[in-house]
Parts: sequence; structure tokens; C-alpha cells
Amino acid sequence: MSEPVLKIRNIESFYGPIMAIRGVSLDVHPGQIVSILGANGAGKTTLMKTVSGVMDPEKGKITFHGEDIQGSEPHKVVQKGIVHVPEGREVFPLLTVDENLSLGAYTLKDKGQVDHDRDLVFSYFPILKERRNQEAGTLSGGQQQMLAIGRGLMGNPKIMLLDEPSLGLSPLLVQEIFGILKRLNDEQNMTMMLVEQNANAALELAHHGYVMEVGRIVMDGAAKVLMQSEDIQNFYLGVQEEGARENRRWKRKKTWR
Amino acid sequence: MNISTLPPQITVNGVRLNATPGQRPVRVDECVTICELFQKRCAELGDRTAHREKDFGIWRSYSWTDYWNHAKWIGLALRKLGLERGEAVSILSEDRKEWVWFDMGIQAVGGIASGIYTTDSASQLKYLVNDSGSRFLIVENEEQLDKFLQVEDDVPELLKVIILDDEGLHDLNHPRCMMIDEFYKLGQQVETEDPGRFEAEIAMATPQDTALLVYTSGTTGMPKGAMLSHENILAAIECGAHALPTHSDDEQLCFLPLCHILERDVSVYFPLAAKCTVNFAESPETVFANLQEVSPSTFTAVPRVWEKIYSQVQIMAQDATPAGRAAYGMAIKAGLARAECILEGKPVPAGVAAQYWLWDRLVLRNLRRMLGMDKMRRGGSGAAPISTDLLKWYWAIGVPLIEGFGMSETSGLATLNTIEHNKIGTVGRRVPGNDIRISDEGEIQLKGLNIFQGYWRNNAKTAETFTADGWLRTGDIGYIDDDGYVTISGRMKDIIITAGGKNITPAEIESRLKFSHYISDAVIIGDKRKYLTALIMIDQENVEKFAQDRKIPFSNFASLCAAAEVKDQIQAEINAVNKDFARVEQVKDFRLIDVLLTADDDELTATMKLKRSFVEKKHGHLIEDMYK
Repeated sequence: MSEPVLKIRNIESFYGPIMAIRGVSLDVHPGQIVSILGANGAGKTTLMKTVSGVMDPEKGKITFHGEDIQGSEPHKVVQKGIVHVPEGREVFPLLTVDENLSLGAYTLKDKGQVDHDRDLVFSYFPILKERRNQEAGTLSGGQQQMLAIGRGLMGNPKIMLLDEPSLGLSPLLVQEIFGILKRLNDEQNMTMMLVEQNANAALELAHHGYVMEVGRIVMDGAAKVLMQSEDIQNFYLGVQEEGARENRRWKRKKTWR
Repeated sequence: MNISTLPPQITVNGVRLNATPGQRPVRVDECVTICELFQKRCAELGDRTAHREKDFGIWRSYSWTDYWNHAKWIGLALRKLGLERGEAVSILSEDRKEWVWFDMGIQAVGGIASGIYTTDSASQLKYLVNDSGSRFLIVENEEQLDKFLQVEDDVPELLKVIILDDEGLHDLNHPRCMMIDEFYKLGQQVETEDPGRFEAEIAMATPQDTALLVYTSGTTGMPKGAMLSHENILAAIECGAHALPTHSDDEQLCFLPLCHILERDVSVYFPLAAKCTVNFAESPETVFANLQEVSPSTFTAVPRVWEKIYSQVQIMAQDATPAGRAAYGMAIKAGLARAECILEGKPVPAGVAAQYWLWDRLVLRNLRRMLGMDKMRRGGSGAAPISTDLLKWYWAIGVPLIEGFGMSETSGLATLNTIEHNKIGTVGRRVPGNDIRISDEGEIQLKGLNIFQGYWRNNAKTAETFTADGWLRTGDIGYIDDDGYVTISGRMKDIIITAGGKNITPAEIESRLKFSHYISDAVIIGDKRKYLTALIMIDQENVEKFAQDRKIPFSNFASLCAAAEVKDQIQAEINAVNKDFARVEQVKDFRLIDVLLTADDDELTATMKLKRSFVEKKHGHLIEDMYK
């Protein structure tokens, strides 16, 4: 396989005295979608924030195209082509859709490139074109999520870090947005690192998956393989094990193999 | 009984015992059976706290009267539902007060209590219930109940299943199942109908009645039930009282499985004699937090637990500030200097004592408080060999930790170090009242009143276990030094004969490997092979820490085991051990077991030891790979 674009090696990040990531290593290869699964508090978002420079790791290395980026300022990281689409959409509610998109292209100087990117965004998210002059705060949740992703695309990124794009969206909208992500990957060869609680959707979309628990990776593998794992099926995909009794409530212990 | 013919008695920590252990009748405060002693203690201690258990995060106390009443209802209800004297009852539950209540209730009405590990599978449950011929099964909760439901048609002799925790089972309607509250009510009903029945049952017990079955973990073949009589247990209490004094105001923490004879002695029978209080850990995962909360006076654990506590302190020390790290280092140095003197039986020089006093104030006392060991008078380690360095470290921080040896067949105690008579690296001297000898083959053999009655319904195995002149064959090889201290070198059955015809006891090499912080357990291979090799289970926490400190990338457990640096480190550990062995005994190659095993796996015993036979079978491909 080709050399990974993004290499994370033994990252440890803290919130004050609390260790949120305990030595995580993972690889993202070009053109790949990598999903990170895990329950609340597993450290998925922290991992994203550490990559994008919002948080600095205490230990460990992050290399992007062979260059060390751990501890870099977030704007420097963006300039290198890593775009972070944060959890909970975080669009600027009082700015219009257009203005939001322009902010995403803040690092670009070339006007022609910006217009090209805007057209690209509109081609993937036609609804944003329709509402381009509307204040972002008045959009629906799904549209705001689309705007957040579109804003990320405007930076002409080499890799997108998507933090729970399905959060708070209806199943239909999740399907739609994940469909667009898939098209972006297929057509633009966009590399993505995706954090998700919606394991089903994430594994359908991804090539490779990692499972995090309390700050560590406990399992990883090709998405197809993960979907077959009994632990993943039981704990993330909601498959009910055959029990001796109806209404069984207890779950067997996770072994991650 | 004619008083004048009874052995003379003395009082030890307020309990009357035979002055010379090992004489019949074994009496503890004039009682000759466990249930008689139980009755006496409950009557005299009444509202004093016998047990504590956490309920929604708050420690709740249960008195000796609660102990008595519940055991009474249990015993009476069991009899009412059809339990005959001499029949077995199985308990499938984590440690909790009801476990102990049932243990007493069953024995008081002449039943035989048999514990089943919660990690056992449904098929193991089936085997244990059928082998013991259990008429009743006590299950803790729905998870354990489901194991019964899976095999319910294959356990025909079982009359009823009693469920302790009804959470999630409100709509359960099964003719063979009963909730604990309903069961207690039945007992209360019998009590009003037939007052004095329970006391009459207790009076019927004799010292030779079988009181409990302890299934031996069985690293080979199916588990066998070791029958222990009332007398056996009282003899163990007697040994314990002489060698491991427990005071009536002691606090203890119960967390190892009560099916295991070690925890059963320490948390049920010894406290019964000593009148102390037992606190139940919430779960195996919370032991360390519970230890802090309880701060017990005595604490008995397996080496793995002692090792974990040590590792945690090491990790904390490494991540401390430079000043903190230096202070810790100096404190341990001062502690070790003092410990060396004490352990060699020499007086502590004034300078060393002063140093220790200072560092004790500054560091060690806080460390002990943080670990929940500030009140600890004695720590005990058993069930597996423990490294001498680890023992010394505990002495250095001011926790006297001693090692002992015992097995189900000896009611848990066979040889013991004591605080006063302690030789590190040995398992101590024979317990008071026991005789010990080494056979011509080098096997340790024992005689004493604590030696079991035989295996349940298995006369062939029982006959194999005793010599013609009535000594117990422990199956362990070892030697006794001039002062009477015993060293165990291995299991007889495990002796490896290499292709070159050399006899090797793998346990010796295995335990040396296990003393490494990176190796949690090891199995030596080499029977009928040209050279020795090892399958190694790494200690996850310590090796992960090792990898992180050296920036070795890994994602999951398998990739950790695959890392070249980790393999090199394990090789280095093996090389260090190899140095101390002759060439034929050296480990030439090894493989890491790259799946994280849990107690639910066949390869591990409930005390997390690798089972040779299963490991050899399951990881045969790794073994073959080493002999290519």
C-alpha cells in the first residue's frame, strides 16, 4: 500500500491532569476513509483536535506528508491542507451561507481557485446555492451540517477530519450526507478521517476502522472485517445475541478479537 | 466427653484453642463444628458488624444477628424444599454477603456448600452441578441464571435455582426458579411453624461431616471436588490463629473468589473465629479503590494483585516531578536498607532506622495511606510464586508481606512464613500441627488434621492422592532447609523430559520469567523436544507503558505483541533468566500470545494462571513454529 498521508504515533493528550488519549497510533492512506468508533469519552474528538492543532499532545508524533505537525498552530495546520469540521456544526449563524463559505477559503489568495471551490461545493450541495444569501442560523440542522462540510471543502483540503457529521440528524439526512461524502471520496479522491457514533453508517462508508475505548485503540481492521466482529456487532451495531431467555439485559464482556 | 482426657488449651487473641495444634478434638472456643462456632459467635456478638457491603456507593453494615437470621432462613428453607443432610448446594455468585450467609445456612442444616466461579461457562456449570449432585443452585443475577437456562434439561437432579438479584427478572416465571425474598419468607414460615429446628440441625453436625466441596482448578482433566470436613476447617482455623493472628477489631477486604479455599478461609472461617469484620469489594475491578476505603488490617491476595499495585506506584513515580521522583527513590532506598536487616533477622542500625524514620514521615507513610495500606499489619501472598524483589519492596515501604503455600486439599494452609519467622524466597515452615516430609522422588508430602477427606465420588483419585501410610501427596516437588523452610520447585506432573533425556521442572523457569514486570505468565514447552521454548503472556499495562515511553507505535494488543522492540525486551528478560540455568534448561525461543486473554477463556484459571494443557492445544501452531 502507498505511504500513509497522515501518521499518528503514540499520541498522549491531556485535559489538565486528565489523560484523554493514552498512546494512540494510526495511519490514514491517501484516498482512504478511516472511521474512528467509540463511546462517549473514548477520546475520539480529542484525537481530532490534537491532529488539527487545537490541542497540543503531551507526547507522540503526528506526521503529514512526512512533515511533523504535532503542536503546530491550528492555522498552520489548515494551510498544510488539513481541515477540521467540528462536532455540532459550528457555523456562524449571523453570516450568510456565502459569507460562511468565504471564511472557509480565508487561507486562499487565488480568487479563481475560490470561485472554483465554491462551484464545487454548490455542485455537491445544491441546496446551499439556493440559500446562498440566507443567514446560516436560519438553516435546518442538516443544511447547517452541509454548510460546515462545504466550508471545510473551501480550503481545498488534502484531508478532512469530520467529527460526527451525523449528530442530531434524521436517518434520511444521515444517508444523504454520507452519500455525498462517499461521492466526494470517489470523485475527488478526498481523504477523510471520520469520527462517528453511528457505527453502521461509518463502517459502510469507510475503508478502514479503528475502535477507541478510554483513550486507547482496542481494535482495528478493514471496515468489512470489523462489521463481522462479534464485539462490534453486539456493542456498536446493536445486533442482539441469541440468549437463553427473552429480554436479556446483560452483555457479555468485550474481548476485541 | 471426659474433660480430663481433652488436650490442654490456651487463649490466643481472645480465642480458646488447643495449646498443641494437631490434637483431637480440634476445638475453637469449645466448638467442634463450623456451625456450632457460628451459632456461638452470633449469640455473643449480636449487633456488632460482621459484614459490610456497598449499596449504591454507600457502605452498609450487616450485623452478626443479620448473619444468623439469614443463614437460619436459608437453612430452613432448603430443608423445606427437600435438601437432605449430606447433599450438596452450589453457589454461583461474585463475593457478597449472601454468599457467606448461604455458606453458613447450608452447612448448618447438614448440606455441603460448593462454590462455582462466575467466569465458568454453562457447560462447566453443568459438569459441576452434576458432579457434586447439587440439589440447589444459587445464582447471583440474570447473567448467571442464563447459564443455568442453557443447560436446564441436563441437570435433572437439581430441584431449585435461587436468584439473589432480581434486576431484569421481574417477569421471570420458571417453575425451577425462585427469588431470594420469596425464599427467605419460606424460611421464616418454617421458623414460626417449627421453632428450634435450626438449632437442632446444628446440634446434629459432627466434626467428620463434610462441610464444603472445593473444586480444584484442574489444569489437567476435569475438576475434582475436594471434600473438607468441619474438623478440617477448624484445624485450618487453629493453624491460622497460631501463625496468622487476626484480632477482633480487624477490618478485612474480601475480593478473591470465595470458591477458592484461600479467600474462603481468610474471609469466612478465620473471621468467624476471630470475630472481625469483613468488607466485600464491589467488583473485581474496584478492588484498589475499595482497598483505600477500607484500609484493612490484614490483606491476602495473589501475586498478580501485589504486582499490579507495585506497577501502579512505579508508573506514578515515573510520571512524577523530578523532585518527587528523587524523593521516592531515596525513600525506597532507605526502606530497602531497613528491610534487608529485618529480613535477615539482624538488628537495624541506628543510622538506618533514623533514615527510615525520616523517609517514612516524608514519603512512605503517605504512599501507604494512598494505597490503603496504612493500617496493614500483615499482607499475605499465596496461590502462585511471588518474586523476592516484590516482597522486599513491600517490606521497604513498610508493609510486611509474607508468602505461604496451601491447596484445597490442605484446607488452604500447608506452609507459612510469619512476620517473625520469615525467609524470603521460601514458602515458610509447616503450619502448626502439620507434619511434612519429602519423598524419595522429591515430592512434598503432608499430614495433619487439615488434610481433606478425599475427592467427592472419586475414590480412585483419592487413593492416588494419598500414600500407603496415609500422607497427602501434594504433587509439588521441593526441599526443606535446615531451619525447616520449604522451597517449591515445580509440579511433578509437569516434568518435561527433553529429547536428550534430561528431566526439567518447568515451574522453576516459569516462575522466574513471571517475576519480570513485562511477563504476566509463561508456559515452558519442551517435552520430547530437542530444546526448551516458551509461550509468553505479556503484562498489558506494563508493556504498553514500555512501548509508549520508547515511542514504539502500536494500535491494539496484537500489534503491541508484534512490535520488534517488545519482542527484544522479552528476549532480554529471557536472557537474564537463562543465565541462572544450565544449558539444557535454557529457553531457546519464544512466542508471545497475542490475544488478550480473560478469565472467561479456557486457557486461564480463575486466578489468571495459564493452563498448560489448554495453551499447548490452542497455540499449537506457535509451538510448531518454534521447532521448525
